[in-house]
Amino acid sequence: MQQNTSWVPLFPEQASSFAWQVDGLYFYLLAISAFFTVGIVAAIVFFFVKYRAKEKFANGAEIHGSIALETVWSIIPFVIAMTIFLGGAVVYYNQYRPPAEAMEIYVVGKQWMWKFQHGTGQREINELHVPVGRNVKLTMTTEDVLHDVYIPAFRTKADVVPGRYSTIWFNATKPGKYHLFCAEYCGLNHSGMGGWVYVMEQRDFDNWLGGSVSGQTPVEAGKDLFENKLGCASCHAGGKDQRGAVLEGLFGSQVKLTNGQTVTADEEYIRNSIINPSGQIVEGYQPIMPTFKGQVTEEQLVQLVAYVKSLSTNKGGGSMTTGATSSTTNSSVNTTSGGNMTNSGAGNTNSLVAPRADRGATSQGSNPNAPPSEPETTGKKNN
Amino acid sequence: MVHDDTHEHYHQPGLQHQFEDMKQQAESDSIGMWMFLVQEIMFFGGLFTVYLVFRSKYPMAFAAGSNHLNEWLGMANTLVLIVSSLTMALAVHYAQLGKRNAQVIFIIVTMIFGAMFLGVKAYEYAEKYADGIVPITGLNARTDKKILPKDEKYSVDPESRRRNSLGFPDSVETNPQVPRENDTAKTGEHVGEHEEEYINPRGDFIWKDTSLADKALAEGYLTDNEKLAYMTNGEISQAKFQDKVRIFFWIYFAMTALHALHMIIGLGIMLWLLWKAWRYTFTPDYYAPVEMVGLYWHFVDIVWIFLFPLLYLLGRHFLHGGGH
Amino acid sequence: MENVNALNIGNIKPEPKVNYLTNGTTARSWLLTKDHKRIAILYLLTVSAFFALGGVYASLIRLELLTPESDLLQSATYNRVFTQHGVIMVFFFLIPSIPAILGNFLIPIMIGAKDLAFPRINLLSWYLYMAGGGLTLFALLQGGVDTGWTFYTPYSTTFSNGYVMLVGLGIFINGFSSILTGLNFIVTIHTMRAPGMTWFRMPLFVWAHYATSLVMILGTPVIAVTILLMALERLAHVGIFDPAIGGDPILFQHLFWFYSHPAVYIMILPGMGVVSELISNFSRKKIFGYEFIAFSSIAIAVFGFLVWGHHMFVSGQSVYAGLVFSFLTMVVSVPSAIKVFNWGATLYKGSISYDTPMLYGLFFIGLFLIGGLTGVFLGALGLTVHLTDTYFIVAHFHYVMVGGQVLAYLGGLHYWWSKITGKVYSEFWSKIAAIIIFVGFNLTFFPQFILGYMGMPRRYASYPPEFQVLNIFSTAGASILAIGLIIPLIYLTYSIFFGAKAESNPWMLPGLEWRTSSPPPTENFEQTPIVTWEAYEFGEENGLDMEEARREILAPVV
Repeated sequence: MQQNTSWVPLFPEQASSFAWQVDGLYFYLLAISAFFTVGIVAAIVFFFVKYRAKEKFANGAEIHGSIALETVWSIIPFVIAMTIFLGGAVVYYNQYRPPAEAMEIYVVGKQWMWKFQHGTGQREINELHVPVGRNVKLTMTTEDVLHDVYIPAFRTKADVVPGRYSTIWFNATKPGKYHLFCAEYCGLNHSGMGGWVYVMEQRDFDNWLGGSVSGQTPVEAGKDLFENKLGCASCHAGGKDQRGAVLEGLFGSQVKLTNGQTVTADEEYIRNSIINPSGQIVEGYQPIMPTFKGQVTEEQLVQLVAYVKSLSTNKGGGSMTTGATSSTTNSSVNTTSGGNMTNSGAGNTNSLVAPRADRGATSQGSNPNAPPSEPETTGKKNN
Repeated sequence: MVHDDTHEHYHQPGLQHQFEDMKQQAESDSIGMWMFLVQEIMFFGGLFTVYLVFRSKYPMAFAAGSNHLNEWLGMANTLVLIVSSLTMALAVHYAQLGKRNAQVIFIIVTMIFGAMFLGVKAYEYAEKYADGIVPITGLNARTDKKILPKDEKYSVDPESRRRNSLGFPDSVETNPQVPRENDTAKTGEHVGEHEEEYINPRGDFIWKDTSLADKALAEGYLTDNEKLAYMTNGEISQAKFQDKVRIFFWIYFAMTALHALHMIIGLGIMLWLLWKAWRYTFTPDYYAPVEMVGLYWHFVDIVWIFLFPLLYLLGRHFLHGGGH
Repeated sequence: MENVNALNIGNIKPEPKVNYLTNGTTARSWLLTKDHKRIAILYLLTVSAFFALGGVYASLIRLELLTPESDLLQSATYNRVFTQHGVIMVFFFLIPSIPAILGNFLIPIMIGAKDLAFPRINLLSWYLYMAGGGLTLFALLQGGVDTGWTFYTPYSTTFSNGYVMLVGLGIFINGFSSILTGLNFIVTIHTMRAPGMTWFRMPLFVWAHYATSLVMILGTPVIAVTILLMALERLAHVGIFDPAIGGDPILFQHLFWFYSHPAVYIMILPGMGVVSELISNFSRKKIFGYEFIAFSSIAIAVFGFLVWGHHMFVSGQSVYAGLVFSFLTMVVSVPSAIKVFNWGATLYKGSISYDTPMLYGLFFIGLFLIGGLTGVFLGALGLTVHLTDTYFIVAHFHYVMVGGQVLAYLGGLHYWWSKITGKVYSEFWSKIAAIIIFVGFNLTFFPQFILGYMGMPRRYASYPPEFQVLNIFSTAGASILAIGLIIPLIYLTYSIFFGAKAESNPWMLPGLEWRTSSPPPTENFEQTPIVTWEAYEFGEENGLDMEEARREILAPVV
């Protein structure tokens, strides 16, 4: 929200408790740099004019050096460098040592999206909502390659390394919307791997945790989820380089699966593909899609299915009007989700907070959503 | 003023045009060779660093792999190389004295020792091939031996393993507060269900013996890092342990193969040297090539002196004595 | 030794009948030559070709970044373009530029030798360079790589679809070219110095190359083995860089930067050497604090091996490692500061002339100053957390690499052009080009410091729209820079065919390279020189006859 509006932006927003320290160090170094640059350049220009050759091949004065001068200009930069080192070390210590009392948020990077999980169970993709004035600690890892969480307004970043956890912390000082970037090169869509950090007043944050109100139609809401909130578009809408299946014209068509079956892409199929992607891999695609179970509420699932359906009707494949589609969607999916609720044992589809019970259900193994690689591995072994 | 008129007209055999005299040329050759060896040290140094990093991470897996190597063959090879260094030094000595026949004999003897070393090495490699512990899939004997893996997770495809170990969101690994030993709830359920016959038609790397790690666990000197690395569901996982042993064998092959490559190059150069010596090229005034080849050969020898204890001997005490 | 020196007295010596360029004209006489000067020419042609190719990639990058969306190039293409820009510029242009061209040509002449110690190995170096370059080009034609020139694992080992192994092999082979060149220089400097050429009479250009060669010999093998490990990992998936099966992706970064940080000094020390020559000779004054500059080169080379961890402040190494590396980084900045102060002090009471090489020398000091100081920003722990992996770091290393090494290279090329080719280039156009390059360079890269502090990450094909204005400045600057770099190509080429014949010693300088004809004969000197003067000795002790020179050279003017 708080965009820099000057014509040439020169300075980023300051929105964390230690941002001023980083900026202080920056200005200290700028001052030192300006002093030396101006001083040396001025001296050079002065000498250049004053001592220009007056006669061809005239020699300069015979000065070979001065130990005293050399010592002075070795020691002065060294002392200045040490002040910079100490200043930098102090700020670094503040940046990387999270306070004991901190709200924990878990972060998982994946080519090319950020997944956040709040302590309360709320999950987000490419968006992070945090309250103002609270210590927030991010504990981060990645599923594939190196990534790097970078929030310029907070002046902090850290690489996210597979197989280990890295942490950063911040205390946001100003409500607003700030850039979140991936700063470690991670492949094809590196520059698209980012999003926004929303800093909210505590009251707004509590409201947000409690649920969201939206005046959008299911298709619009689904589009928003697809393109922004869940990041589906990073794999399913990229033109010829996209990694996921093509969704335009999908609904109602016959889909050939890797296990040889052919199924009709109906609402049930789309829904299952979202929460249990490895269950039905379309021929010609890798089983790389992560499960979205637990991250999307049933309500959001409905919206997503509605949106995927709209992709087919817009292309003129179906005879139904959009309005008719969305009403059909609502009714049919309601039935589906009801059935599934009973299956998985996860309740409370109305709350945006994903049920904690979800995790337990998974580890007991009663869940249809087996880790994607399991069946595949077994299959390989039998070959 | 002319510096030295004589060299303009008189060229010693072996003096190259860019040098003023033999002394300058010999000095250049010597410094050049030493610089080359410094470069070699840095080259092997990178590999030794990798060895040290992983040995300190996974001492038990390295001990297991190391104990499998035949220390007597390694010992024999060490002796062969040390003796070949002696014969090489004698070849240089006789080159300095200008004794052609002794030179030729000792070069030939050195080459025979070098070939012996390579022969033993080849025999060891063949053993590894037959045992199925070459760390590259497809480079092992394709066996129809029936193998019952303890853990169904066995797979050489890193892609599938990656997703196993860091699934989101169902994996508890997204929540670091849950200790990672318990991280096996999801995979553990399958243990026992999928035990089935495994045939090795692709020449996969196979390592079943986890006894060292079991013993270390029982006696309490398995490090925390190793526990995380080897264990699934509270017990040592064959598949996980195998991965770490595979790293040992990979380093073993990388280092010994590079060493053997240096030996082969050395033998090639010696063949050239032999031809030169045969033709009476070297005199008490000009023997730099023999000396340089000697330096190279000693260097290759020294590398092996480090490789032998690091790869063959370190970790043997885990097998025989206690773990401390 | 009496101050009688056969080749010193006549400043303008009779031309030898055959110089190194006319000594054999067949392709064979060039491709199988063992003459260090001809090999330098071979390098000049091939390195320039790689520079041009890298430049084309650079223009593509800047054009794409003109708009926030990734429209001109898709992400997939953009990633390949910036990777290939990096690989070509670093490994095939910056590293060989000054050492393999100017160093190869001048080191033997500057110390009074007939050739390098191992001429055949020198030729082998060039062939290795060509083989490495050829493999890399082949990989680029096949589709290239998209890993970034740093090849970070596990992306490069497991995920990338590019021709990583082929490019890796190219870099591996090219590494040995650089090792052999370094080896050759060290041996030559140790054993081939002419009578009287003591260590402390050597030009600083030679000292700088000695330090560079140390880094080449000690560092390059490590990257060779690292690239080898990466390629084998890609082949066999053993997992030494793959955390899922027990490996460590950070280990790769340690090994990579252990070489690649010192490699940064391979890319700047020779430039510093060139600038020491330019500043001293065009001020006609002995360089201020010769020993300090010489030893600071060695100090930079040594300390350069202890600071690799400053590339990894945010990669998850321990806080204590961060502190140690930051401290050492601050220490290594001091020798560079000493050099800058000494160059400045050399101008004091000099007799400064404004020839084109001197312009480059002065621009170098200014740009290197900014590049060096912003390096201190990046060495300061708290600040680097914000700045690393942003455009700040891109701007910083371009100020050092382009503002430093490339300007020094151009300065050196102009300075010794008459010696290398025996022809004179257009002083007017060369000054224009130097100024255009300076302006274009600053306009290209200065806005990137601001972009970096604003938080724009590097290696982004598309970026938030608020960064566009500064990116437009940068792209505009890049077009000016491109024009500035094309002009020398034209007038230098023109001078080869139509330029006036050069004097042996047009500036009456004391260095040994100016005491042989332009171009030099194959054996460099008619007779082995005997050195009786200190480096940068402009007094009478250097044996040059100024009176004679003034009469002869200034005669038409008077």
